[in-house]
Amino acid sequence: MEGFVAQKLNDFETGKISRRKLIETLTFAATATSAAGSAQAQAENPLKAQLINHLSYTCPDFKKAADWYSMVLNADQVGETKRDVVVVLGKKGEQPYNVTAKDVPHSHLVIRTPSAEPPARGGPRARPQSQAVIDHVGYTVANFNRAEAKAQLTAMGVKNVRDGGLYSLHMDDAMGYDVQLSGLDNNALTDG
Amino acid sequence: MEKFIANLVKNFESGQIDRREFCQTVALAATVYAAGDAANAQTRTGFKVLGINHISYTCPDYTKARDFYTSVFGLESTPGKDNGKRANLMFGPEPGKGGSFIVARTAATPANPRPPSQAVIDHICFTMSNWDEQKVRAALKAKGLEISGGRDGSLHVLDPFNYDVQFANLVEEDPFKHGLTAN
Repeated sequence: MEGFVAQKLNDFETGKISRRKLIETLTFAATATSAAGSAQAQAENPLKAQLINHLSYTCPDFKKAADWYSMVLNADQVGETKRDVVVVLGKKGEQPYNVTAKDVPHSHLVIRTPSAEPPARGGPRARPQSQAVIDHVGYTVANFNRAEAKAQLTAMGVKNVRDGGLYSLHMDDAMGYDVQLSGLDNNALTDG
Repeated sequence: MEKFIANLVKNFESGQIDRREFCQTVALAATVYAAGDAANAQTRTGFKVLGINHISYTCPDYTKARDFYTSVFGLESTPGKDNGKRANLMFGPEPGKGGSFIVARTAATPANPRPPSQAVIDHICFTMSNWDEQKVRAALKAKGLEISGGRDGSLHVLDPFNYDVQFANLVEEDPFKHGLTAN
């Protein structure tokens, strides 16, 4: 990017392009950089993951669990059915944070309660038992301050709030599932 | 952005910033442009969630999970964060700018075991951009993966530990259309 800017600046200084053209070109280049990188990576691997689409969260009481996430993460619930509801980690009409691709939706939780009825004969075949488990999920929130967040969560009635490393807090959700909350400081480069 | 760059050009022309500073500032502006001001807003009740930070994935051998998620879904093992017991597998925006990661770790006996949760995350789903059904299915075949379920635009595979992994496009997995499509 820097090399491109230097070239355009040189063109401007030598009179090859106008001041107006310089500004337009740099504006376009600056806003297109991120999108171009994403498109190139996708062309190289059609299976490249852009973002978590959703986590499928199964529990005995989907409404109770969803209300907890809505309260703590200020997240909207949409599409409620008899057995499940979606909790969206972002607002409708907004792009996911720092994502420019228009075909990438907000990450969300599909929170569901299994049917009490036995599976119908001829229904989907049972999956093999997994040897892996997702034992906790971390969420990024804006302007995270651990001390303030701890006080705020405690005031909300969140259970088992405890420190987690330098940049985060752990807590139990309404189903006793381990949830971590942090700011942008907790990331792949700093965690672990 | 245009006004910002116009001001920058003005500052350059008037000698307030030098050539090097001009180029660096425009390049920096490009990298932070997408950030907007979302991170500056804190909601009155609850927290303003920016996204999923990470998923902690525990299994019998983290190296198999690491190799699977990096080779199939293009996640990147964070340099310096593979210690022989765990690895951070990055994807999405850059670390510190909203990027996510999977912590793939080999199960160890915890010093203070937690009481069992009533909830379980039984599958995860990744979003693919620019979905091309033929290319997606061809890529799966080339990698020797069997589709374990799903439909066009939304497919499932099992990872090396039989964990259910879904990947989909916006059309099939749009949160605001839930109830109208299967998950």
